[in-house]
Amino acid sequence: MRIAIRVLPIAALVGAVTIAMSAQSSKAPRTPWGAPDLQGIWNTNTFLPLERPAKYGTRQRMTDEEHAQELAALQERNKRPGRDSRDVGGKPGVGTEKDVARAYNEFWFGDKPTKLSYRTSMVIDPPDGRVPALTPEAAKRIADKKEFLAALLQGTSGGRPGPISPRRKDPSPDYNLDRINRADGPEDRGGPERCFGNGLPVVMGTGTFGGVMQLVQSPDSVSLYYDIGQGSGFAYVIPISKRPHLPKNVQLYRGDPIGHWEGDELVADVTNFSDETDFHGARQNLHLVMRFKRVDANTLSVQFTADDPTTWTKPWTAVQDLERADEKTTLILEPGCHEGNYGLMGMLINTRAAEKAFREGKGPDPATQDNATGGGDN
Amino acid sequence: MATRSIWRGVVLAVGAIGLALAVSSIRTTGESSTREARMSDGRPNLNGIWQANNTANWDLLPHAVRPAVSQAGVYGNHPVLAAPVLALGSVGLVPAGAGVVEGDDIPYTAEAAARKKDNGEHWLDRDPEVRCYMPGIPRAMYMPYPFQITQSANKIQMVFAYANASRTIFLDDAPPPPADKWMGHSVGHWEGNTLVVHVTNFNDRTWLSRAGDFHSDALDVVERLTPITPDALRYEVTLTDPNVYMRPWKMSMVLYRQLEENATLMDFRCLEFVEETFLGHLRKNQLVKHWEGDTIVLDVTRRVPEGDKKYER
Repeated sequence: MRIAIRVLPIAALVGAVTIAMSAQSSKAPRTPWGAPDLQGIWNTNTFLPLERPAKYGTRQRMTDEEHAQELAALQERNKRPGRDSRDVGGKPGVGTEKDVARAYNEFWFGDKPTKLSYRTSMVIDPPDGRVPALTPEAAKRIADKKEFLAALLQGTSGGRPGPISPRRKDPSPDYNLDRINRADGPEDRGGPERCFGNGLPVVMGTGTFGGVMQLVQSPDSVSLYYDIGQGSGFAYVIPISKRPHLPKNVQLYRGDPIGHWEGDELVADVTNFSDETDFHGARQNLHLVMRFKRVDANTLSVQFTADDPTTWTKPWTAVQDLERADEKTTLILEPGCHEGNYGLMGMLINTRAAEKAFREGKGPDPATQDNATGGGDN
Repeated sequence: MATRSIWRGVVLAVGAIGLALAVSSIRTTGESSTREARMSDGRPNLNGIWQANNTANWDLLPHAVRPAVSQAGVYGNHPVLAAPVLALGSVGLVPAGAGVVEGDDIPYTAEAAARKKDNGEHWLDRDPEVRCYMPGIPRAMYMPYPFQITQSANKIQMVFAYANASRTIFLDDAPPPPADKWMGHSVGHWEGNTLVVHVTNFNDRTWLSRAGDFHSDALDVVERLTPITPDALRYEVTLTDPNVYMRPWKMSMVLYRQLEENATLMDFRCLEFVEETFLGHLRKNQLVKHWEGDTIVLDVTRRVPEGDKKYER
């Protein structure tokens, strides 16, 4: 066996000096191999809306006085028993289908965010802190889907008045990820019920449905694990690589990430999303640039710029500061959503049973029942 | 101050060169890996994309080629392909393998041996792999799909292409496991060049192979990963489970690094594809017209292709 001695080029010497010097210039922790250390378990207990309330205009930060007021309002909201009110359309909703469906939520609302960011929104560009306007093409696409959702609810307690819509026989106009009022097959049940997990970028919520992210890094790759709650989570590897993106025909649910370092910032360029991706209306044409940066020992800034000329009139940028969690007490849970997904099967079994009962004159037409709006935000 | 910083940098740089020369002298020629053989802390560098190159996922023991699902043929000891894989022809076969079990024997208790045999005969109905469930450890390490290692000083993260399964190996101060897990709870340490991982807190739902090899929730796994070249790892696993095995037993195999320049971990996203297999009968309007109640009835039709007709006069 021959042993080779590799000669280190001058570039490596320059590189080593650069690493050593930049190590001097930053207080942020470093890995043993000299890279900015982004590792840890990161979470968010700090409430921060994605979009900025209009009253703040172009201001990114609140005053102390505003912060005190908003915090008091947040704490007041936290006194309520659950997230969902028991009203339906402004009327008492006790005992309605929607109320029963929402009962599930009560179980999950234990912890609520107690802290409030001084930021007025995650969105920092455009300057008004709002996601840019949709292109006419995207507006039409999204309106078409909304109309489809409304048609499936037509004539039910949660929908507009009218007869059962003939559109109940139509396929969804997009790859459906929403909760729709139909259960003809698994595709009708939406992404979360099928355990699709979360797409990217992960804007982690706060409080009960807030996520936890574990980051492990090496010189070659950064490995993230997102625990997004309720038995869902996923692993995501960002390779540090100079390879080109995969060919356009290869479409992946969470895209094709390629990472590189810009100073102390890890930059991941993500393309090749699929039509099963849905981020604020963007689908397979989403182009994402994620930036991870250690701000201080206890803060990881995660910033992303989302661009899709077929969806938004201009790109937009949002930032979220994640807090370092105590690794001893913050449990990263295995996802196991698909493995224990009796719910999806149950929805289909139940709907077939309801159809049979209707055919035999023993129950109402399932098409007249609202099985979509309860428990959600709609 | 600035001058001092630069000098410190140069000193570090010279040190780095010395270290680089020292570690790079380990590398043998004839390998195309672009990685250093060792991390800056002197540990073997396991970073990269790896895959077993054997047939352990089909059958851990030595075996010849056989149908993945079989029925009796003309000769008792020569079964033929059965309906679920009949149309697949050569693609429906289990590839042969010399086996990965030391002593070529898995010491099942009598009861467990009977269950393993039954599992093997009902493989398609029972194997969690068919359902796209997390494969558990050690099976995830030798499935015929790659996985990526991200190795840091105090944690090693492994992400498997199959089903997006993953595991964290804690190298220090592991928190207690929150619950039993499909992938277990991994705590590791280095013994020289060997990464030793103790995996506990399994559930009883995962299998070890398509041949029906199984374990209980008392499974205790010790893995040893030792570089034999910068791009190949000796992977040894000792399995202990008094509910199922009469004594601890051991597998041994080699894991290989992907050296392709465009190597990248791409999800084997099976989740949505298995819905048709397991929920297809619950559709309002079936897509595949082969259901009778909740039973898949396979009518396999193979028409002789035009080109073959000349041989079938």
